[in-house]
Amino acid sequence: MNSISPRERLLRSLGGKTVDRPPVICPGGMMNAAVVDVMTSGIYKLPEAHHDPDLMSGLAGNVQRETGFENFGIPFCMTVEAESLGSEVDYGSLECEPKIGREPFPSVKEVEFRPRGVIGRTARAEAVIEAITSLSREYEDIPAIGSVTGPLSTAASIVDPMPFLKDLRREKDAAHRVLDYVCGELEDYARLMVEGGASVISIADPTATGEILGPKIFREFALPYLNRLADAVHAAGVPVIIHICGNVRSIKSELALLRGDALSVDAMVNLKALKGETPGITTMGNLSTYLLEFGNEGSVGKSVRALMNQDIDIMAPACGLSTSTPIENIRAFTSAVRETG
Amino acid sequence: MTKEKLYKGLADAVVDMDESTVARLSEEAVCNRFDAYETIDMGLAKGMERAGQLFEDEEYFVPELLMCSEALTVGVDILKPHIRRSEREDKHKIVIGVIRGDTHDIGKNLVKLMLSSAGFEVVDLGRDVPTNTFVDRAVEESARIIMISSLMTTTMEGMKEVVSILQERGIRSRFKVVIGGGPVSQGFADKIGADAYSPNANHAVRLANELVREDAREPK
Repeated sequence: MNSISPRERLLRSLGGKTVDRPPVICPGGMMNAAVVDVMTSGIYKLPEAHHDPDLMSGLAGNVQRETGFENFGIPFCMTVEAESLGSEVDYGSLECEPKIGREPFPSVKEVEFRPRGVIGRTARAEAVIEAITSLSREYEDIPAIGSVTGPLSTAASIVDPMPFLKDLRREKDAAHRVLDYVCGELEDYARLMVEGGASVISIADPTATGEILGPKIFREFALPYLNRLADAVHAAGVPVIIHICGNVRSIKSELALLRGDALSVDAMVNLKALKGETPGITTMGNLSTYLLEFGNEGSVGKSVRALMNQDIDIMAPACGLSTSTPIENIRAFTSAVRETG
Repeated sequence: MTKEKLYKGLADAVVDMDESTVARLSEEAVCNRFDAYETIDMGLAKGMERAGQLFEDEEYFVPELLMCSEALTVGVDILKPHIRRSEREDKHKIVIGVIRGDTHDIGKNLVKLMLSSAGFEVVDLGRDVPTNTFVDRAVEESARIIMISSLMTTTMEGMKEVVSILQERGIRSRFKVVIGGGPVSQGFADKIGADAYSPNANHAVRLANELVREDAREPK
């Protein structure tokens, strides 16, 4: 049972190879498990840990040990990228995750392009990369996952989202120029994470959903940039997880064209059905975060067992966890995977 | 052009996101001294209604709906100065906002624009709104409906708090509370004692219409 390490298990799963049981992970970024229970019982806390590499790696370590997730997930927010490109960020509190305070550009035509490589040079990105580096050196068997905000979501975090969405129809060329710029930055940032020792890169792109964009715009503005980013990560030598939020009904044929190594989805998506429709896909998900917060150990265990019957390749939460999720429920999740597998 | 044909043309142009045709037909309505209020109601708003239906049917998505609304606004801006004062009836007021802790406001903005084009007066509290503010502003504005949006499981509890605050202050019956957003469901609305749940922006308009009608029937 314990013959293979969590790192090897995850990499084998992402490579489509056989494993003893699915890994159970929480990749960081939007989907991180730095819940209040973990922080109050340890010395590493948010919001301070968003800035300092030692606090960040310390907290990621505590999260991993306390929750039983089989990875380190870094960072704990999705604001590092947009902040580097000019957005104001509110760092939140122990209970409340950071968020974009204000997008600096009113439309895609007004975006000021910063010199290439700017994300990697900011203090917060450096903290993220340092934390990944020290964790991956110290723990060879536990995979460090670097979490990157997707191109469309990053673009919609530097341009006011409502005009941004209109610009996808009326200012297509300028929108592509912004996405090209953002995507280049994200590629550099992801490469630095991989150089630091990240075993896997996870891309979450919550604005790039079928529900918001529909299939046509998803195909034109989300798919190519997600694939470009995934290709850059592959070229750097590690696999990629792509998380798509919301209902994917309208974009199923587009999902088949994504070049990630695993597709992570929200709770309303039936992964068994999706697998049937998209042969060869590696699925990740999708335990309800509502259940994790408001359920109990019994109901969580029951749901985990039901999900495992759907042949999901990698077990993970379906969406961002509430910071008030009880640690007992998260432990019930991870141990149910270990016991059932 | 007959009135009916012009109204139909305006509605089509809104659905087609065609701002220049909306502008041309709106000017024409003004030149022909067609009733401005009726032109908005029977032309532009009808188009937006159809756009909302296309959105609900998943033929249109957010960018399309926003462009339709942009076209509608072009027409409203031309026609509004020509509305006769007597026709400016009292509109029902709705306060709307995204609950504290949450900054995802695309959904809320869609609901707001659908409600405005359906003739409601919408007071937008923005995003990351404290629970007390929903209640305070609803009272100040004498609103009939409070609409709360949340896109994160993390912030759904705030919706319950708004309902509790209304109860504690003894003013629960003065307002209809409607909730919506990704993780929210009818079950959750029932659980926290909200009056209704809306799964999408178009549905929110139907709900608002029903709620104000119900409200009018209830004995004071």
